[in-house]
Amino acid sequence: MGAAVLVGTRKGLFVLTSDETRRSWSVEGPHLTGWEVFHAMRDPRTGAVHAATNNWVYGATAHRSGDLGETWERAEGIGLPEESGLTWEKSWHVEPGHADEPETLWLGGTPGALFRSGDGGSSWEPVQSVIEHPTREKWNPGAGGLCCHSIQVDPSDPQRLYIAISAAGAFRSDDGGESWAPKNTGVAADFFPDDNFPEVGQCVHKLLVHPAKPERLWQQNHCGVYRSDDRGDTWERLEGNGLPSGFGFPIALDPADPDAAFVVPEEGAENRVTPDGRLGVYRTRDGGASWELLENGLPQQAWQSVMREGMSFDRLDPVGIYLGTQSGSVWVSPDAGGEWIEAAAYLPTVLSVEAAEWP
Amino acid sequence: MAVILLPSLLAREAGGEGRFEIDAPTVRDALRELPVRDLLFDERGDLRPLVNVYVNSVQADDLEAPLEPETEIRLVAAVAGG
Repeated sequence: MGAAVLVGTRKGLFVLTSDETRRSWSVEGPHLTGWEVFHAMRDPRTGAVHAATNNWVYGATAHRSGDLGETWERAEGIGLPEESGLTWEKSWHVEPGHADEPETLWLGGTPGALFRSGDGGSSWEPVQSVIEHPTREKWNPGAGGLCCHSIQVDPSDPQRLYIAISAAGAFRSDDGGESWAPKNTGVAADFFPDDNFPEVGQCVHKLLVHPAKPERLWQQNHCGVYRSDDRGDTWERLEGNGLPSGFGFPIALDPADPDAAFVVPEEGAENRVTPDGRLGVYRTRDGGASWELLENGLPQQAWQSVMREGMSFDRLDPVGIYLGTQSGSVWVSPDAGGEWIEAAAYLPTVLSVEAAEWP
Repeated sequence: MAVILLPSLLAREAGGEGRFEIDAPTVRDALRELPVRDLLFDERGDLRPLVNVYVNSVQADDLEAPLEPETEIRLVAAVAGG
């Protein structure tokens, strides 16, 4: 089994492949030409490739390939119920369901909506409990719209799900998506003039569950980096101690080390570019108490931006970390950040990267 | 019977077919028969604002117009994007 990274761009999907050393990469594609691929993943349960796809004329949808991108099927008729008064605007993220439910998938997007598929991605049903959430009137769209961009399934419990919406915050379901509780205690919303710690309204940029320690969550937020050790009930802000800024979009983890995380800080909300005129990844190995700069191989004269889906990690040993830039480069570290290799350059704007196993 | 011509992206989404012959009462009904109807209309049934419909080379402003025999319908994406 080889390594791959699915690269969603403004102009289709590219697939980068390598052997398990992850040092030399081939570029295939583009697939899905004409579509903006906000996110794509290869479902480890079925081998199918799924993509969250958008077109400025023809709207938002999802595509699926059962043959590694040779042919694609479009899911038809994704839409929100008329009584909601909402229309489906953008597909942001597609996530496999629990390992015990191989036909279940989740699709999130704008306007703050979640869909569930029970047939492997052929059809999608809106999750009413998100559409009708009692706090919805307090949600506000961020620059990317009111996007449901993070969907996580607790590997230890198929009933426990997490979503994050910008700017509504993080939510947890303990009943398979029937109901959702806000999980934002301790997470700042510094952009509000009065209450900086509201129940909802936080601008989560990316939320992840640690795959081996699922009670531990991490999030990169508009207002800091956070860790939770109680399934999101409370959060601790992790700024300082080496991190040049709390502002950034993506976050990546190491499946073998629950205390490790990787972020790509930007200067701040008003200047969304990597600080100090270079591309740098920051890693913690002590749960966020301290952060170190990883720059071996990364460009030292660079003003870059990495989007919220623009970072990923694999399941190999040592962990591989992947990041894609808005200027069209994909960087791979085959050794947990020790060294960085430019796996591809001059791609269209990279919207997402996702590591995958590839035959 | 109308002939409907699709631009290349829609043709790919229609399984590689860029030309359809459809018999239907109105222009809208004909478009709703296409396998890419979800890309032309949103979930309310409204034509997406950047999809332009040309009937016999004239931009259609009334999709409820009866479909005359030998009509050619051409779908054109608005000049937009980046």
